[in-house]
Amino acid sequence: MNELELIQRLRTSDEAAFKFLVENYQDRVFNTAIGIVQNAEDAEDVAQEVFIQVFRSIHSFKAESKLSTWIYRITTTRALDHLRNRKSKKRFGLLQRLFGEGNETLYEVPDFNHPGVALDRKENAALLFKAIKQLPENQKIAFTLHKLEDLSYQEISEVMQTSVAAVESMMHRAKQNLKKMLTQGLEKKKKEDK
Amino acid sequence: MNKQDKIEQILQSLDVNQRALPPDFFYTRLKARMEREFNEDKKVRAWILRPAYALSVLVMVVVINALVILKSEDTRDISTNDTETAQSIAAEYSLNDNNVMYDLTSEK
Repeated sequence: MNELELIQRLRTSDEAAFKFLVENYQDRVFNTAIGIVQNAEDAEDVAQEVFIQVFRSIHSFKAESKLSTWIYRITTTRALDHLRNRKSKKRFGLLQRLFGEGNETLYEVPDFNHPGVALDRKENAALLFKAIKQLPENQKIAFTLHKLEDLSYQEISEVMQTSVAAVESMMHRAKQNLKKMLTQGLEKKKKEDK
Repeated sequence: MNKQDKIEQILQSLDVNQRALPPDFFYTRLKARMEREFNEDKKVRAWILRPAYALSVLVMVVVINALVILKSEDTRDISTNDTETAQSIAAEYSLNDNNVMYDLTSEK
């Protein structure tokens, strides 16, 4: 089934076409989502929301870009929304602890281990994901799409609806920020080990 | 290994990796969720379109409109009364007479 035919069939709510779409895009959507939200359960929620949104708004897809570009865009938007909701829940939880009895123990989120990373790189990857978590949103998206989905700067610019130069700048600043955070992290670890 | 090399190594740790795959039966769970959400939407729509509900909303709109109209008529009556009261006071103190003739020729 080519892309045009797929879109036409999706517009008629054809279930077989929808199943084809999910089977062909679920890996990309899930991998992108997990790279941003850094949690498998949340990533599955996000992935489901993405396909539901695609199903509901396929009529508004103008086919000016590729279907994959549009789906990546929905995925990154949904993943960021998820992160923002998580942050506001945390803030509310903190307020409850401040005004509550304060008997609850603070739960520290364990380091994220991406399932697709080789065993010998897991420790380094966990450090990198910890640093990626702290990047500004646009740098996080650009870096995740490039590193995890192997998208080119051109493809990323289409997903983010910006110029290639802007993506280059985001990637450069992301690497600078990551180096800074990793340096600080390593120095802190060195002091703790002493 | 020096610090810079270590940082470069960390930055490259995602360069050769495989995609994380969604759990098994992802499509089945997705379909279940879509059906659940569709049924919930259907319930809400059915409730809103129930004749009893629609009729009571219509009656409420009519009643609210009637109350507003009646209240605005009361306001008009009150202001008429106020005007009459003001005029009677003015008449008592001859404040309405604007054409008082002053005799400027008489000598005091």
